[in-house]
Amino acid sequence: MMRFLLLFSRQGKLRLQKWFLPMTEREKKKIIRDMTTMVLARKPRTCNFLHWRDLKIVYKRYASLYFCCGLEDQDNELLALEVLHRYVELLDKYFGSVCELDIIFNFEKAYFILDEFLMGGEIQETSKQSIAKSIEASDMLQETMEEYMSKPAF
Amino acid sequence: MSPSVCLQEMIRVIRGARTQGEERGVIQRECAAIRAQFRQADSGGRSHNLAKLLYVHMLGYPAHFGQMECVRLIASSKYSEKRIGYLGAMMLLDEKQDASLLITNSIKNDLSHSSQHVQSLALCTLACMGSAEMCRDLAPEIERLLKASNSYIKKKAALCAVHIVRKIPELGEMFTPSAHSLLSEKNHGVLHGAVILITELCERNPDNLKQFRKSVPELVQIMKNLVTSGYSPEHNVAGISDPFLQVRILRLLRILGRNNDAASDAMNDLLAQVATNTDSSKTAGSAVLYETVLTIMDIRSESGLRVLAVNILGRFLLNNDRNIRYISMTSLQKIVQTDHTAVQRHRGTIVDCLKDQDASVKRRALELSLALVSAANIRSMMKELLLFLSTCPPELRSHAASGIFNAAGGDVRDETVPNLIQLITAASELHCYTVHKLYRALISDIVQQSLVQVACWCIGEYGDLLLKGECEEITPMQVTEDDVLDALETVLQSHMSTPTSRGFALTAIMKLSTRITNNVDRIRSVVSIYGSCIDVELQQRAVEYNALFKKYDHMRYFTMSYCTVILEFGCRSRLSLVLGY
Repeated sequence: MMRFLLLFSRQGKLRLQKWFLPMTEREKKKIIRDMTTMVLARKPRTCNFLHWRDLKIVYKRYASLYFCCGLEDQDNELLALEVLHRYVELLDKYFGSVCELDIIFNFEKAYFILDEFLMGGEIQETSKQSIAKSIEASDMLQETMEEYMSKPAF
Repeated sequence: MSPSVCLQEMIRVIRGARTQGEERGVIQRECAAIRAQFRQADSGGRSHNLAKLLYVHMLGYPAHFGQMECVRLIASSKYSEKRIGYLGAMMLLDEKQDASLLITNSIKNDLSHSSQHVQSLALCTLACMGSAEMCRDLAPEIERLLKASNSYIKKKAALCAVHIVRKIPELGEMFTPSAHSLLSEKNHGVLHGAVILITELCERNPDNLKQFRKSVPELVQIMKNLVTSGYSPEHNVAGISDPFLQVRILRLLRILGRNNDAASDAMNDLLAQVATNTDSSKTAGSAVLYETVLTIMDIRSESGLRVLAVNILGRFLLNNDRNIRYISMTSLQKIVQTDHTAVQRHRGTIVDCLKDQDASVKRRALELSLALVSAANIRSMMKELLLFLSTCPPELRSHAASGIFNAAGGDVRDETVPNLIQLITAASELHCYTVHKLYRALISDIVQQSLVQVACWCIGEYGDLLLKGECEEITPMQVTEDDVLDALETVLQSHMSTPTSRGFALTAIMKLSTRITNNVDRIRSVVSIYGSCIDVELQQRAVEYNALFKKYDHMRYFTMSYCTVILEFGCRSRLSLVLGY
């Protein structure tokens, strides 16, 4: 299973953090620090895999954001690259040519999309269309309620 | 700033702060306002206040005062409030917090909600942060949902069950019957979840393993359908139909086929088919091939299939994509002991990877190359490894050096010794590390003559570094002058030492006379004893060194000082030539 998924900028600012195993705040902060240091130190044109403690770290840079996840020994690193790519595609479809600012100002939506794609550190749906449809339906449900209450959501 | 400013406005203000102090100030004010709002329980702005708090939390600021608000929002009847409440629970509440238990009841109710989206929120949160007590409490609900008619809910319930099994393995038997029936589903999401659930059940309990081995034919059929099916737009990734599902099935087959001939036989043809037909030009296909190779190597496969697998890894080594080269080497490393001959066939490519640009690939290539050194290939391997040592990045040098020393066993030809010495001389940063390592090797074992010779030479040359007792790369032993002389004398006296090695040891002892302070007399006596040694070569050397002590003491320092010129080992240069008589 995936232990965690982090999104951070080139300056090391965290944009999203998903933890699939319970950890103390202190442990989380240590991992975030270690990941950002290690990944940002990587030269371009090196491979996307690292070793850290007993985990395999897979990271990929998309524009100004680094997508970084921690995997267990039996997990397939090449597939993890596809998982990260799939998440980016989902964000891209939802926001229309997604950029870092979209994820900053709509972080809760980035989480909602992630929660339709991954669950408990595993993939829950392998069809892009299916996920897009569920997000759309949830958003509709929210809007309908808000129209009724005639107040903005957030 | 008005307390009911929306989330995006707050984010804008925070980002506009020019200093860390300014940002802290803004956030403190916002948090104070949010706290006040929470206490008011104002029904209008509750969701966006929590959303603002979650943003602040992500920046690294404390947000525990929002935990109770999460509990309240989850219990709300508005979907938007539930949505953000559950998100807050996943971010702020984990099983270590007491407040997490308070949401158990809400989750229970929401699991039976009329809207599947609300059910989904509850399932997701349970799978993300459900504690053992919550899992025990809600397991029957999840089991019921596994049989629900809705695929959307079934796939989520399956992963929830996975989480429960991970937390409380004994509850696994509750899910075994449903897991089995889920394999006949057509929906890929549900199938994927089912395969993961079965994997988890089999890994935790050997009885489950026995039972699910009977499902191997079914799993093989599902894989066959995926591999031979035509283009499916919904699941296609770079020409592969649902690589995610394929990889999970292959992983499950690995567990089921391990140590079991019948199961391994049943999947043999499928694995051969996937191994030969999968297009690996893109990452998706390579991921499937990679998993296939891992499975083939781990089950009781025919030797032909194993060779096919190793050849795939060999092909991966030539791939342009460095990720694929990297994982190929990690896989080869795992099997180099058990399938040594098969991996040896790819030695050339592996050695080429020593020159790769990528440091991770280089490191892997080094590990693998060292594992592949054998009596048959030691000459060419030594050449390559020594070349690598001279050009490799600093962080790999000590590892490469120790690997080379270990491999420089009894089968090494004579040229290796001068080559190695030449290299050690050139790598001046490594002198301290090298002499410590070689000293350690020498005192533990003096059978390998080339190692003995290089060690003696090194100790003679860099003995002062050894005696100083400091070393960056390893914790050095504390070595006294007597210890060093003991070690060298042991080589001199041992019947296992060849004449060449004795020569090295004697020269080293002599060289140390200029590098130590207390034991020069001891050295003098050793040298004079060997002046009457039966071995003519040794005798000659000893006589010359004796002369250095007696008549040419003023030149002793000059001739025995740091040797920057390497003597040719083909022709024996005599000190007589140096001294001119």
